[in-house]
Amino acid sequence: MEKKQRGFKVLLVDDEDIFREATARQLTVRGFIVLTADRGETALTLVKNEAPEVVVLDQEMPGMHGSETFIQIKKINPFIEVIMLTGNTSVDNAIELMQLGTFDYLMKPINIDELLYKIEDAYTRKKLNEEQQRDAGL
Amino acid sequence: MLNTLAALSKKLFSWTQQADGPVLESAEVEKLRLTFKSRYHSFKLLLAANSRILEAMADIEKALQGNEPFSMSFVQTHCTSISVNVFRMINDMENIAPGKYNALRDSFIAIQKRIDGLLGAKKQITDQRLVIPLEAVNSDMTDLVGGKMANLGDVKNRLNMNVPAGFVITAAAHDVFMNADGLQREVDRLFQVAGSDEDRNLDLVSSQIRQLIMSAEVPEPIYLAVVEAYTRMKEENNGREIRMAVRSSAFGEDAENSSFAGQYRSELNVGFSQFFYYYKQVMASKYSVQAITYKLNRGFRDEDIAMCVGCLAMVDAIAGGVIYTRNPLDTRDDAIYINSVWGLPKAVVDGNDLCDLFVVSRDDALTILRREVRPKGYQIVCFEDEGCIRTETADGRGDQPSLTDEQVQMLADHAVRIEQYYETPQDIEWAIDSEGRISILQSRPLQQMDMVLPGPELDLRRFATALVVEGGINASPGVASGTVFKVTKKVDILQFPEGAVLVVEQALPTWAPLVARAAAVISEQGGFAGHLANVAREFGIPALFGVTGAMARVENGDLVTVAADLGQVYLGCIAPLLEWKRPEPKLMIGSPVFESLKEVSRQIIPLHLLDPESRDFLPQNCKTFHDITRFIHEKSVQEMFSFGKDHSFSERSSKQLYYRVPMNWWILNLDDGFQHEIKGKYVKLEDIASIPMLAFWEGFAAIPWDGPPAMDGKGMTSIMFKSTMNPSLVPGIRSKYADRNYFMVSKNYCTLSSRLGYHFSTMEAMVSERSAENYLGFKFKGGAADFERCMGRIRFIREILERYGFRAVVNADNVDARMEGHDMDFMISRLKILGYLTLHTRQLDMIMNNSALVSHYMAKLTKDIDSLLSR
Repeated sequence: MEKKQRGFKVLLVDDEDIFREATARQLTVRGFIVLTADRGETALTLVKNEAPEVVVLDQEMPGMHGSETFIQIKKINPFIEVIMLTGNTSVDNAIELMQLGTFDYLMKPINIDELLYKIEDAYTRKKLNEEQQRDAGL
Repeated sequence: MLNTLAALSKKLFSWTQQADGPVLESAEVEKLRLTFKSRYHSFKLLLAANSRILEAMADIEKALQGNEPFSMSFVQTHCTSISVNVFRMINDMENIAPGKYNALRDSFIAIQKRIDGLLGAKKQITDQRLVIPLEAVNSDMTDLVGGKMANLGDVKNRLNMNVPAGFVITAAAHDVFMNADGLQREVDRLFQVAGSDEDRNLDLVSSQIRQLIMSAEVPEPIYLAVVEAYTRMKEENNGREIRMAVRSSAFGEDAENSSFAGQYRSELNVGFSQFFYYYKQVMASKYSVQAITYKLNRGFRDEDIAMCVGCLAMVDAIAGGVIYTRNPLDTRDDAIYINSVWGLPKAVVDGNDLCDLFVVSRDDALTILRREVRPKGYQIVCFEDEGCIRTETADGRGDQPSLTDEQVQMLADHAVRIEQYYETPQDIEWAIDSEGRISILQSRPLQQMDMVLPGPELDLRRFATALVVEGGINASPGVASGTVFKVTKKVDILQFPEGAVLVVEQALPTWAPLVARAAAVISEQGGFAGHLANVAREFGIPALFGVTGAMARVENGDLVTVAADLGQVYLGCIAPLLEWKRPEPKLMIGSPVFESLKEVSRQIIPLHLLDPESRDFLPQNCKTFHDITRFIHEKSVQEMFSFGKDHSFSERSSKQLYYRVPMNWWILNLDDGFQHEIKGKYVKLEDIASIPMLAFWEGFAAIPWDGPPAMDGKGMTSIMFKSTMNPSLVPGIRSKYADRNYFMVSKNYCTLSSRLGYHFSTMEAMVSERSAENYLGFKFKGGAADFERCMGRIRFIREILERYGFRAVVNADNVDARMEGHDMDFMISRLKILGYLTLHTRQLDMIMNNSALVSHYMAKLTKDIDSLLSR
């Protein structure tokens, strides 16, 4: 298990309590600062107030659906990278969401290391995009 | 990539001479650094996606060998994973070369549409009737009422035999039920959450889905249609209530090559007040552990199986059983086999009791050839109110024949007529009521196979002391060896080891999920007419039933050999007997799930874009996902290479390796592949930070090359001839295959295109702490010898690579090897091997017609490699 401190905020949004809590614990052990939300609405508040770098978002949630939550997150901060999780292997959804700009798409049950890599890659991508944006503004 | 890198080398060479030409402003340099960094990040993501795609394609190719069962969930998950990663590669390519390869998206959409069409295809039900009375059913309606009821409809309406009154709740009703309140969507979701390896979570998934179905409301249209059908039956029964047999009649059940014997629920003697509860039980049994296992092992798609439900007036049988219209274990034997018990026929198919056997000739007189009357201590009878009970046989009837000769012959007559109608041997369930009337309850194709008895040359007497069981009923022929595992309760199923010999008291259908995992089955009870025997025959697993005291005669962990045909079990592994072992049937091949994967793989795996130098190497010519990934991989490498030149950015130009002297190796640093920024023309080995390149180089430089092998006159002629035909092979003549070697490196990544003498090789490696993303790819082709000897060397290299754990394939003129997912240390050790082989297989093609030299070099190379790995 990797122990290095990554020190950036990851928001994990999933309505399945057991999954959310277990995953959050594993990500915390791996050095991330983990915020959690059990629904889309709470996630949006946390995005506004806590400014996470990467969001890991379940697609199938009661209330605000994952896809809608994703769109709202991007409205708040277009640079946040979002990794979608789903138990639904329908390729239509996956491609549609990637066209809309999700960073990647993971199918449950997830491999925690795979999620960790994706979060790191998403974070690097976010930083590069922000840097390029700043550079373009100069 | 082989050709791209070689072709690029010339361009790059001319450019590196003027790399220090234009002077850029520092802001421009900073911007270029950032742009390159961003593109390199996309390049890394693209490579990781490419690796995942290749892994998923390897999984698919393995599945298509048909040796292991896989489910539709496997097909969907792999297709989705490949689609998502191909799309990811297209997005990353867009970052690397904005706007340059837009046509890739069109190719992607076209391929994806074809895949969606193949995966989404489901049988359409055109007849929307929810309930159909049995008198209106026939075998043309299999897609509406299921095989079991369709066959029974024929027996009733076309053969005019006595079949109980009843009706079928149809496939259209199944769709209405499953689509109400998103039930089917939730079922699909649960399967998908369980993962492609759903058998691991089988118990949980099965229980969740069955609970969902049991707690669902029966939709009103189905409820009303059933009430109407039942009311009509009741009116025809002079207004008296009717108790029903509620039986599964799913798609695929009772078909030619798949019986689903005993895999679904049937409930007997159900009063109408409880009817809908049992209707849901039968519906839910589509997702019982044994039914899911059976479907998985036989390659059925869940979406193809509609659960129709047959509802028949209950026959209060005094005797019942199963007829095989031929001997299921001997295709030459045309006698009729009638298995019979007192009470309901359920006792025969459940396999928990002994039954009588009457063997009848199919001559005009229907002569009874054999009567085997067995002790029938129990029978299953209807309760007065509802349900059934297994009870002791009363009045000493247990030892009496359950049929009279006249009844035997009447049943044989039915059997002959039914078989004549279907023109294929049948497995028929029947019952006789208190008035002596025969009712036919089911008729399905009988699967026949032949016994394989050892010839007289095999003298088994020398194994006599090892014989622990003799006798019993050959329920499924064959020979197998394994360790004993006794199963007495359901929880034992979870512990059952793969390849063990299953030993049980009763041959219950409950044990069916174990059959595919067992080497053989031994049961104290049961005969060859039970469901478990059917399943064993279907899976080609030897089964010996009716073995009195079997549980006491062997112990858990005993190694035994079961010879079902001989009715013998030996302690230990009797190797001469195992020569009669049957080849395992490849049950997946031809199954609906297998065919789905085969069809869909045609849109994924074939590679049409073979030559990057060809004018047809274009995004719009990508016909499969493999084409797209191949195209993107080639072009992304090219784009990364040409970035420095396109932007006059010397920092991203290649440097010449200085290893004692300037070498013919050029290195392009992609990101953090050097220890520090290199200003001049040369880079020294100690300046390199790339883990995979250093590992490769260690293997390359570890052991000096002995020089070319001794060459005979033919070898020399071959080189001269090839040089005449192909000037590019002559050193000193410039061509697109310049005599150079190119590395592209970062700390964890390295790709190499090399040409040493007359062979070309490419290597690509990702080696980091992320074991799951690590991979090595290696391709080798060419040579100066004739084609046969070149291929000899390619096979020689494949053998070495496979020995060290690579997955290696020999194609038309090259060997393509790959491995992935190992930790960093292991990957580094394998890179050393690739480095070593790149140098030391040089000119070995020349000696490939000399087997002594081939053996010599094989021994030398493996010895060198082993010493290299032990350093």
